[in-house]
Parts: sequence; structure tokens; C-alpha cells
Amino acid sequence: MLLIDRPFRTLLSREVLRFTRVWMQTIVPPLLTSLLYLVVFGVALGSRIREVDGVPYLEYILPGIAFMSLITGSHMNSSWSVFDAKRERYIDEVLISPMSDMQIALAYSLGGTLRGLVMGIGVFVVGAPFVGVSVAHPGLLLLIVVLSSFTFASLGTMVGAVATRIDHISFLTNVIIQPLAFLGGVFYSVEMLPGFLRVATLFNPIFHMVDAARYATLETSDLNPYPTLGVIFVLSALAFAGAWWAINRGPNLRY
Amino acid sequence: MMGAEVPALRVEKLKKTYSNGLLALDGVSLEIKAGRFFGLLGPNGAGKTTLINSIVSLARPDSGRVEVFGRDAFEEFREARRMIGVSPQEMNLDKFLTVEEVLLYHAGYYGVEKEKARERADELLKRFGLVRKRKDRVNTLSGGMKRRVMFARALMHDPKVLFLDEPTAGVDIELRYSLWEYIRELNHAGLTILLTTHYLEEAEELCEEIALINDGRIAAQDTSTGLKARYGARNIEEVYLKVMGHVADR
Repeated sequence: MLLIDRPFRTLLSREVLRFTRVWMQTIVPPLLTSLLYLVVFGVALGSRIREVDGVPYLEYILPGIAFMSLITGSHMNSSWSVFDAKRERYIDEVLISPMSDMQIALAYSLGGTLRGLVMGIGVFVVGAPFVGVSVAHPGLLLLIVVLSSFTFASLGTMVGAVATRIDHISFLTNVIIQPLAFLGGVFYSVEMLPGFLRVATLFNPIFHMVDAARYATLETSDLNPYPTLGVIFVLSALAFAGAWWAINRGPNLRY
Repeated sequence: MMGAEVPALRVEKLKKTYSNGLLALDGVSLEIKAGRFFGLLGPNGAGKTTLINSIVSLARPDSGRVEVFGRDAFEEFREARRMIGVSPQEMNLDKFLTVEEVLLYHAGYYGVEKEKARERADELLKRFGLVRKRKDRVNTLSGGMKRRVMFARALMHDPKVLFLDEPTAGVDIELRYSLWEYIRELNHAGLTILLTTHYLEEAEELCEEIALINDGRIAAQDTSTGLKARYGARNIEEVYLKVMGHVADR
């Protein structure tokens, strides 16, 4: 049985329709937030920091901020979509359809991936003319952002399927993702940190992704990007396995 | 086995215990012949919805077998589920979609081709008096209208068996009668129907065969006339009271 059959494509297009239909909530505000970061940290405060690793500060943080926007968009899209569908029970329609649990998990996760890409690329495209940044390795960058977006969208699918209360969703966003994103080297190079924080950062998956994305864009990074790519591959596979498990076994999905 | 003899639905010793320990189905066996209008009656919590949910894998039975027109509902879930249409008891329409989109997306989830889905949607929108509402978001509709969308949705992929779980709860008389008329027509055209309801006169009026379920067990099953004869009852309500009373005495 083909994985990408009509039922699967229909659910994926429903996911895209969902976030494009409510674009005033899903696309515009996060784009604005990211541009505010760029103005406040990059232009206002950044004028005090001339450059990091030989790159002008504004240019240094743009890939990171675009990346943060991508992570936020991808995980929030799938976690809310699945949670809403579960809370109002219209997920039942999908669960009793001739789709396998893997197809369902994949459709929700890819929907979130696309939303993340729209957001990340949106910030980058809007910010780039002001910063004058160019992409050194476009193919590598695309691979990194797609995999990262998929990882966080899968995580969102998993949490949306496992969550039994709204707080569980906001816990993921505010207590896990936000701090990891802020401490993931978006605004600074780990070289600027004291020794123990530098080591701690290595356990932050977002750091690896941001670092690799920065390499692909600016050719400057804290780590060698190729082993990092391997780490991202493993993370995305783990996250998707989690999403699949959660759609199959999540509480209040199938009784 | 001859193709014509394959039952629409065969349930064998289906058992389901919920995680809180509640035994909802205690070895239910049931066979519904193709083309039958079958009624499943019982008090709240008797196991009616659990039975339906177990057939479509929305509940996970502990043990037992389910076949839909000879296809194993768990092993061959794609084929089995494609033949089933469900109109659930609780409203569950996708709030992001319009009436028309609800129908078209549903068809897509079941693999129906676009062109065919459009034709079918037009037909069902007309049939359920939803043409003027087709571009409205479903969350702006009244309860009765939502109910109509749920029926239309269940029929979008042209199922061979239709599960109607308490379809007329909270529905006005007019819609109830027009719905009865329509499902009777569908049944005459060959659709097998499994109806669960609280309204005993509804079951008596519509169903050729009736099963009474209580405490997760089938307490009695026969044609409507057969049941009345067996229990010396004038109507199904009397049968119901006798069977349930008997069950309660046990």
C-alpha cells in the first residue's frame, strides 16, 4: 500500500488549508515578532556588538532568528492542530478512515513542517535585504531546515496527541522549546560562554541545528556541520517515531 | 462461501474492557445480513457506542473478531473501513471547514476521486437541503443543520454499511421524518443499516431486525415480529421492558 495515497494527501492539504485560512493568527504575528527581535537585538543592541566570528552581528543573528521562527511555527502548528482535533473529536473522522496511523502521523507532521518553513523562510526573506546576507550553501541549508522543521513538527504531533490539557501544549512551547531556542546560540556564539555552559549547550538539540544552519548560510559555525547533520537526521527519526507512537497509543485518541 | 451469503457484519465474541476496569462488551456476537435494517437498542452505557467504536477501531477490543463483508476489520482495515459510514452520536465536524469542504475532504480521506466526490457532494447537499449553506463554516450552523452535514458526510464515500448512532437525538420532528424516509430509501436500494436509538418507536418503525443489548451482552435478538411473539408483547417497548426487567432480575 502506497504511503502517499489520496487519503494521506487529503489530510496534508487539510493541514495546509488550516494554517493558511487563519493566516492572521498563524503567519502574520510570528513574522512580526521575529522582525521585532531583529530590530531590537540586531539594530538597537547589536550596534554595540560589532561582529561575531568576523561576521557583522545583524547578519550573524538573522539565520538564528529565522530558525527560531521555524521551530516555533512547526511545533505549534501540529501540536495545536492535533490537540484541537482531539478535543473537539473531529480527529475521529481521520482515525476511522482507511488511513494507517503512520500516514496520519506523517500528514500532521508534514503540515507542521510546511508551516515552519513558511515562517522561517518568511523571516529570512523579509530580513535579508536589510542585512545584505547571502547563502553560502543553499542545498545544505534547505536540507537542514526541512529536517529541523520536520523534527519539531513531529514533536508537536506527539505532544498534541499525548496532551490531555491545554497546559501540556503551552508547557512544550514555553518551558521546553523557548528556553532551548534562546540558549541554542541564536543570539551569540558558544565561544562567548563560560566553560560549563559551553558543555551544557552541546546537549541542546536546537544548538546543533542553529549552528549547522548558520554554517550553511554564513560559512561560520562553532562545530563541523557534517556530523551535526547526522545528529539532526537521528533526531528527526526519533521525533517521528514518537509522533507515530502517540497517534497509535495517545490517551483519548482510541479508547 | 457464496458471495451473496457473506454477511454485512459479523462480530464474534467481542470483548472490551476500558482502562478504568469497566467491562463494556462481554463477548458480543452478532451477525447482520447484507441489506438489513438492523436496530441495536439498550439503555445508556449498555455498550452500543463501544460496539460501533470497536468495529471501526476507535476502541481497541481486548479480543474477538469483526468482519465487514468478509473482510477482517483489523487485519484488512483499509478495505473494511472503506465500506463503513459512521454518523456518530456526538457532533464532530471539522470547525475549520465549510459545509462543502467537510464533504469533499471526507471523500478524500476515503480515497474517492475528486470529480466523483464533487458530484456526490452536489447530490447530498441537495438531498439534505444544504445547498444555500455550502459555503458556510460548519461552526456557524445550528444543531439541526450540523446533524444533516454529519449524515451527508457519512454517505460521501458510498459505504455499504451505515452506522447511525442515535441519529435523531435532539433533532426536530420534521428532520426526523425526512431522515427516516431517506434512510429507508437507501436501505431499499441495498444499503445495510445499523441503527442505535433510545426511541423505541423509531426502531419498531424502521428496523427489520432488532437486538437488545445490556451490560455489554446481547440480551435478545430477532425480527421485530419475532420478538413481540416471543415475549407476548404488543410493541417493542413492551419487549424492551420485559427483556431489560428480566436482565435486571438476574
